[in-house]
Parts: sequence; structure tokens; C-alpha cells
Amino acid sequence: MVSLPSFLFVSFILFLAGIVVMIARKNVIAILLGIELILNAAALNFVAYTRFINNNLEGHIIALFIIVIAAAEAAVGLAIVIRFYQIRESIHIDDATQLQS
Amino acid sequence: MFIDIMFILSALLTLGGAFGVVASKNIMHACIYLLGSLFGVAGLYATLGADFLAAMQLVVYAGGIIILMLFAIMLTGGHKEAVNKFGLDKIPSMGSVKTFLIGSFSSLIIGSVVLKIIASIINSHDGSGKLPEFSSSVEKIGTLLVTDHVLSFEISSVLLLGALVGAAVISRPRKQ
Amino acid sequence: MDYTISTIAWIVLFPFFAFVINAFLARKATKIAVIISCGAIALSSVWALRIFKDFIFGNYASDFYIRKVFTWFDLNGAGLSFNVNMGIYIDNMTAIMLLMVTVVATLIHIFSTYYMKDDMNYGRDGRFFVYMSLFTSAMLGLVLSDNLLSVFIFWELMGFCSYSLIGHYYEKDGAGNANIKAFMTTRVGDVFFLLGILAIWTNIGSVGFVEMYAAIADGVFTDPANNVFGISLAAFAGMSIFMGTIGKSAQFPLQVWLPDAMYGPTPCSALIHAATMVAAGVYLSLRIFPLLDVAGLTPLVAWIGGITAFGAATIALVQTDFKAVLAYSTISQLGYMVLGVGVGSYNAAFMHLITHAIFKACLFLSAGSVIHSLHDHHTHEHVQEMPRMGGLRHKMKFTWFAMWCCTLAIAGIPFFSGFVSKDRILGDALIQALHNKVYIVPAILGFAGALLTAFYMCRMMFLTFHGEPRDKELYEHIPEEKFSWNRNLPLLILAVFTLGVWFSGSLTGQKLVKVASPEGKLEWFSTLVVKPDVNKFKTYTSEKWGNTDTRVKGIEKSHYDPKHGMTNEEEIHHVHQVHVIGAIASIFIAFAGVFIAYMMYIRKSWNPGWWVSTFSGWYRALQNKYYMDDLYIKGVIQKGLLPLNRFLAWIDMGLYDRYIVDGWAGVSKVFYTFSKWFDDLWVDTVMVDGTGASVRLFNVVLRTLQSGKIQFYFIMIIVVLAGYILAL
Repeated sequence: MVSLPSFLFVSFILFLAGIVVMIARKNVIAILLGIELILNAAALNFVAYTRFINNNLEGHIIALFIIVIAAAEAAVGLAIVIRFYQIRESIHIDDATQLQS
Repeated sequence: MFIDIMFILSALLTLGGAFGVVASKNIMHACIYLLGSLFGVAGLYATLGADFLAAMQLVVYAGGIIILMLFAIMLTGGHKEAVNKFGLDKIPSMGSVKTFLIGSFSSLIIGSVVLKIIASIINSHDGSGKLPEFSSSVEKIGTLLVTDHVLSFEISSVLLLGALVGAAVISRPRKQ
Repeated sequence: MDYTISTIAWIVLFPFFAFVINAFLARKATKIAVIISCGAIALSSVWALRIFKDFIFGNYASDFYIRKVFTWFDLNGAGLSFNVNMGIYIDNMTAIMLLMVTVVATLIHIFSTYYMKDDMNYGRDGRFFVYMSLFTSAMLGLVLSDNLLSVFIFWELMGFCSYSLIGHYYEKDGAGNANIKAFMTTRVGDVFFLLGILAIWTNIGSVGFVEMYAAIADGVFTDPANNVFGISLAAFAGMSIFMGTIGKSAQFPLQVWLPDAMYGPTPCSALIHAATMVAAGVYLSLRIFPLLDVAGLTPLVAWIGGITAFGAATIALVQTDFKAVLAYSTISQLGYMVLGVGVGSYNAAFMHLITHAIFKACLFLSAGSVIHSLHDHHTHEHVQEMPRMGGLRHKMKFTWFAMWCCTLAIAGIPFFSGFVSKDRILGDALIQALHNKVYIVPAILGFAGALLTAFYMCRMMFLTFHGEPRDKELYEHIPEEKFSWNRNLPLLILAVFTLGVWFSGSLTGQKLVKVASPEGKLEWFSTLVVKPDVNKFKTYTSEKWGNTDTRVKGIEKSHYDPKHGMTNEEEIHHVHQVHVIGAIASIFIAFAGVFIAYMMYIRKSWNPGWWVSTFSGWYRALQNKYYMDDLYIKGVIQKGLLPLNRFLAWIDMGLYDRYIVDGWAGVSKVFYTFSKWFDDLWVDTVMVDGTGASVRLFNVVLRTLQSGKIQFYFIMIIVVLAGYILAL
């Protein structure tokens, strides 16, 4: 039951959910939520592989860095979101048209 | 046996949370569902014997990121226009049927591709996922972080600092 | 006098500067222009007098000469060596010629101030004097030239001036045609002249007289290697250059222009007929005499001269126009000069040139004096027709006197200059005829012409000045002639020089009456003008810009050789005898002519009408100038030149324009069509528009891709990633 394919399956579903959220949602924060899901799917894969294939702790380290990067990304992304909201009074992704000409 | 039960629970929690994130109509709810999904992932980490990582998942994600997001949601929850600058009706913030169809189609494409990749692994794996003896990985991870991966560790610290400063700078209201 | 080009050139430059100044001044201040013209030619005559004095009284040898050259331009390189030298060449002949031209021209200028005064303010706003100055300048330049090329340049300049002066009364019907005729007819000769110059230039690399003489002495001209078109170079070049003389000096068969030249004002006729234009031709033939001699062309020259002398004299018999008689007498006398050249009578031919210049100038000026007085009050034109004259001697005594002097001179009456010169020509012709049968006909023609000359000149005089006035009304209006400095003085001066004593100490030139010293010192003319001995030019030296004189270079001073260079006593005796016979014959003939004229027109014993009715065919032929004008116009020009003209026009327009030019247009059209197609389809449509279309296409694609929607980018990433992985 507890084997690599089962973990991969969970991670796969998690990844697909993140994709759907990222594409379907128009809320910037929701998109960030999708990104978190995808990152978690990736990190889960790393840990599963390092557990079942490598038998060492490299995957843990990678997952750890993924968490760190996710934290940094969330901080900066949310800062941008807030800044964006201050400018446009909206966090709708289609309102971010300033760079379009 | 315990491990199996724990895996099933964790997996259910994870997938259920993910489904909630996908399906919920409210961003706040979606955020809470994400929290649940992250808890599930933490459980999966624990199932895989990554105790430190599970703890980190809980602390950083649940305690940091989700709270941050909740604050962001609350800070941006003001007036929302229904039309864009061209005067057209905007797609609802949480997505419409059309966007979900597009997202599903995209995920179908990438999913089929990913499945094609992992299919060989799934097929070749005998399924006897014999887990080794559990032992705490904290000390080993700490050792690895300051020996083999010290550069990555330092870079990540700098990254975090940069993110901190950057977030502060970006979100600061401009003085006219 | 220092003989350098810069000092001698003034003789040409004075009239030339007068021309340049007058060309700009003439319209504004005609009186000043007239003074400038006359003063310039008078200054030139002072120069000429100085040269004359140096040469004639300098006691130099007869073959002494001065030559100064400078390089005009050189065409060296590429195997060619063409040094074109310009320079001056002065020998005794040049000195005499210069004096004659300048003095006669000065007197004609002075007379012109009288004659042209009423003609619209001194000749069409002074235009007349502008061309007179240039004309004289060109003639002086020709006389001074040391090579054929500069002779040709001045020659053509004179052709232009004669053209302008003959057409002076351009509003008259005939004047415009006459000057074109004169210009074109002389042009025929000039083409051959140029051809001859080029032939000489090609073969000896120089056109100087001195080089030419040296080449003759070296036998270059008779070298068969230098043959041109199968005939010897000497014959080709000599005949070609002599064709120039034929054109310019109005010899048969190109004599047709000279009678028409009287459409110009009478002083200009005097200048053309006496001092400049026609004299230039004879002067040139004298200069190339060694060439004609070595080529054996002298019999041909003699024939041409004889035919011209006689033919023109016969035409002059029937002319009623005052000036036409003089014009034909000019042609006739020029024929005598050419006859003199032809029979080798170098000295006499040149002397006849000088004496003829003087008495013919006087005759024309007298004619001008007469015509100017005869003003028809009905038509407001001057009368030139002799049937309306008669008895004029009572009204104009000075003119009558001067004209009689000249008539006696031209008729060959002893003690007058014409006798001295013409008689020598005829004597030499007689000698040649006795030795060579070829010369018999020219000699007979010469003697016959002399008879006719005496007759028609006296006829002209009798009809004009003697008898009763035939047009009473015209006669009444003639003003009494009073002595005036610019009307009568030139006539009288020239009349004085019609005496033979100025040219020959023996008055007759044949030593029948030995007035002069037996040493022949006063026989200056025949002493100083001798045939150039080409052998002496073999070692000639020419100097650049003449820092030193070339005088007496290898040539000893010599005195007159009374034996004419002949050593055989018997031969000298024979020559002397023949000369005496010739002289007696000439005297007899001249008096016979005068007598016939007297009997016909004064005594009226013999009726001229009988001759006319008896020889009516000849009379018509003479009145029509032997139909030569008709022959040229109807035959040569209409039958020959006009069809040629039309043929050339057809080549130009029918062939060249139609086929080559238009054909090229057709080719261009084809090219144009193709290039238009290429332009429209390939360049415009495919390349230019294609660039635009492709840009637009990429624009559509890129604009769609660059939507700015981040989720679309994300979908793209997914699709591309999927495709990439599947491709792996």
C-alpha cells in the first residue's frame, strides 16, 4: 500500500489540481494557491523518490529548499498583489494590463 | 498497518483539500482547503519518515504562508468592478465554466504527458514498498545542510532576506 | 629695327586691335571707330615701310630671309612628332607685299571715309570698318606667315571677312546670295588646300615654307615611297594647294564668285580685288612655286592661267555694268599672274601682282568715285550701268585722269607699270612656247587676252567719260568734282604709282630703252625677287623667338646678275631676242586694242552692233558668262549636289532615323515591357508587397501570442512542454 506509485499518484492529482486552479481562477491569490499546490506536489515527489529509490536525505534537502522558495515566493507575490491592489483596486488578473500596449 | 492507515488518511486529506481548492467558490474557503491539503502533505511526509520536513511543512506553510495569504485576502477584499477597462464583462474572480473547461483541458494534456512518464515507474515498481526503519532525520539534515549543502543553505538565506526586503519595498505605498 | 616676332607682329596687330576695339565701339562712336581703323592701318604701313627700307635698300642678297618661329603646340609622343610652329618669314617678296598691302589698304580706308559717309553713318554703324580692319589684318598675317597652316588660318579669316563685306548691303536681293556664293565657292578650293597641307604635314612633319623647300631639295616630295593615291606627293600636294589658289584667286573653273562680289561696297571691292583676297591666292602659288615646279604642274597652271585670262577678258567685252567690267578684268589679270607662275616667270608674276594691285585699287576707287556721284533721284540708288553714263569727264576731272592712268597701265601701254609686268609674263610665255609645245596655247591666249584687255578697258573709259551724256537728267544732277583729300588724293597717289618707272629702271623692263644705269641697279624688282633656290634651304636654321637675326646666314651679299644666271652667251642672246619680239608684239597689241575701241566708240566708224548681230550666239554666251553659273547651278548643284543631299538626307532620316533610332526605340520598348512586368510582378507584388504581407502575417501571429494574459502564457508553456516531452 505504501509504495512509490501511490505517492506518485497523490502527487499527480495534487499537481493536476494546481494546474486547474492556476488556469481556471482569475483571482491572483487563487493562482498563488495553485502554485503552492504544484510546489507541494513536486516536493512530495522528491521525498517519495529519495525514500524509495535513493535511501538518503537529498530529497529532504530539496524539499526543504522548495519550502523556503515557496515562502519567499509567497511573500513577494503577495506583496505584488497588495501593490497591484493599491494601484488598480482589483486583484483580477485581467486588470493587469499596464504592460500591454 | 499503522503506516497504511496514516497514508490513506493523509492522502485523502491531501486530495480532498486539493479538490476543495479547485472547487470552492470562495477564496477564503479555498485558502482553508489549501491549509487542509498542506496538512495532508505533511502527513505524507511523516509517512515517508521525513519528520523534520513534516514539521517544517506545518510550521512554514500552515503557520506562515497560509496566514500571509489570509491577510492578503482580507487586505484586498474591497470593491470589485464587474467590467474591465474596455467595458466588457469580466470573468468572475473565481473562474467560470469556460475557464474551468480550459484548465481541465490543459491539465488533461499535461496529465497525460506526466502519466506517460510515470507509467513506466509505476509498472516497473514491484509494489513491495518496504519502508526502512524509522529514525529521526533532523540531525542528519542539519549535518547535510551545513556540510554538503552549505552553499544552497546560505543562498536560500540570502534569498529569504531578499524576498523579505523586496516584499516590504513592493508593498509600501508610494509617496506622491 | 630689331627683327623679332614681338616687333614684327605689330604690323598685324594694329589692324587687329582696331578690329577688336571697333567691334565694341562701332555702334557708339562711329567717327572714332573710323579714325581708329585708318590710324591702325596707317601705323602698319609705317612698320611696313620700315621693313621695306631695311630689305630693299639694305643691299642684302636676293635670297636673304629672316625667319622667327615659336612653338605653338607640340604633339609629341606615341611615336608622333608634330611640332606646330608659328612664326614669321620675311624675304624681299614679303617686304614688298607688306608695303603694297598696307599702303593700298590705307588709301582704300581713306577713300572709304568718303564713300561710306552717307551709308548710314559710316557703313552700318561702323560695321564696314570693323571688317575692313580684320580683313587687312588677316592679309598681313598671311603675308608674314612662315608656314602653310597659319596661311590657312588667315586665309579662312579673309574668307569670312569677304563674306561679311560682300553681304554688307544685306537688304539687297543679290548681296545675300553673292556672299554665300563667294564663301562656298572659295570653300571648294579651301578643302583641297587643307588636304594638301595635311599631305605635306604627314610626310615631312612640318608645314613651314623653309622645311618644305628643304624637303624638296632632299627629294622627299618626289620619292615614290611617299606617293599619295598613286601620284607623287609633290603633284598631290602642289595640285591641292593650287586648288586653294584657284578658289581664292578666282581662276577657271572657280571664277564664278568674283563678279558677284561687286555687290559689296566699292571700297571693299577694291580691297578684295586688289590688295587682299585675290592677291593672297597668287601669293600662295608663288610661295609654293618650287613645289609646283618639282611636281611638273607648271603647264597645267599655265593653261589655267591662260584660259582664265582670255575667257574673263571675252566676258568683259560685253558687260554693261561698270563694276562688272572691272571684276572681269581682275579675273583676267589674275589669270595673267597664274600664267606667269605657270611659265616660270616668278619675278614677273609677282611684279604683276603688285602693279595690278595698285592700278586695280585705283580703278575701283575711281569707279566708286563715279558711282557715288551718279545718284538716281527716282530710285534713290547709285547708277552703275554704263549705257546711262557718258561724257563724265567734264564733271569729274581728277577721277578721269586717275582712271586713264590706270587704264593705260592695265592695257599695257609702254611707260606704265602694267606694261612692265605683263610684258615680261608674255615674253616668258613666248620663250616657253618656243621650247615646249604645251605652252603654245597659253601664250596665244595671253596675247589675245592682252588685245581684249586694251579694248574693253578703253571701251569702258570711252563709254563712261567720253562722248555725249546719254542720260541727261542723271548728268544734270552730278555735282562738279572738287578736290577733296579723301576722295581724290588716294586716286592720285595710286595713279602716280601706275608709272612703270617705279618698278623698272628701264621703264619697259625689256631694256629697249636704257634709261637707267647699265649695271641694272635700278632694276631692283627683278634683282631682289628671285625664285627660291631650294638647295640653299637644305641647311636652314630656324630660331626660337629670334634672339638673333638669321640674316646673311650662309648667303653672301650679291649684286644683280644681268645675265639672269645664265652662262651661255648664245642663250642669253636668244632670250633677249624673244623678249624684244614679245615686247614689240605687246606694244602693237595694246595699241591695236585702244585703236579698235577708239574706232568703235569715239569715231563710231565701226558699229559694235554688227559684231553683236553677227556673232549673236557668242554674244549670248558671253553675256551669260559662258553659262558657267548655269552649269554649276543646274548641273553640279541641282543634278549632283541636291540628289546627293537628298540621298544623305534619306540615309539620315529614312535609314538611320527610321531603322536604327526607331529600331532602337522598339528594342527599348521590349526591354521596357519586360522590365515593367518584372517590376510590377516581382519587385512590387512579390518583394515589396510580400514583405508587407509577411510582416502582417507575423504580426497577427505574434499579436495573438503576445496577448499579455499570463494564464494564456501558462497554457502555452504547458502545450509546448507537452509537445516537447512527447517529441522526446
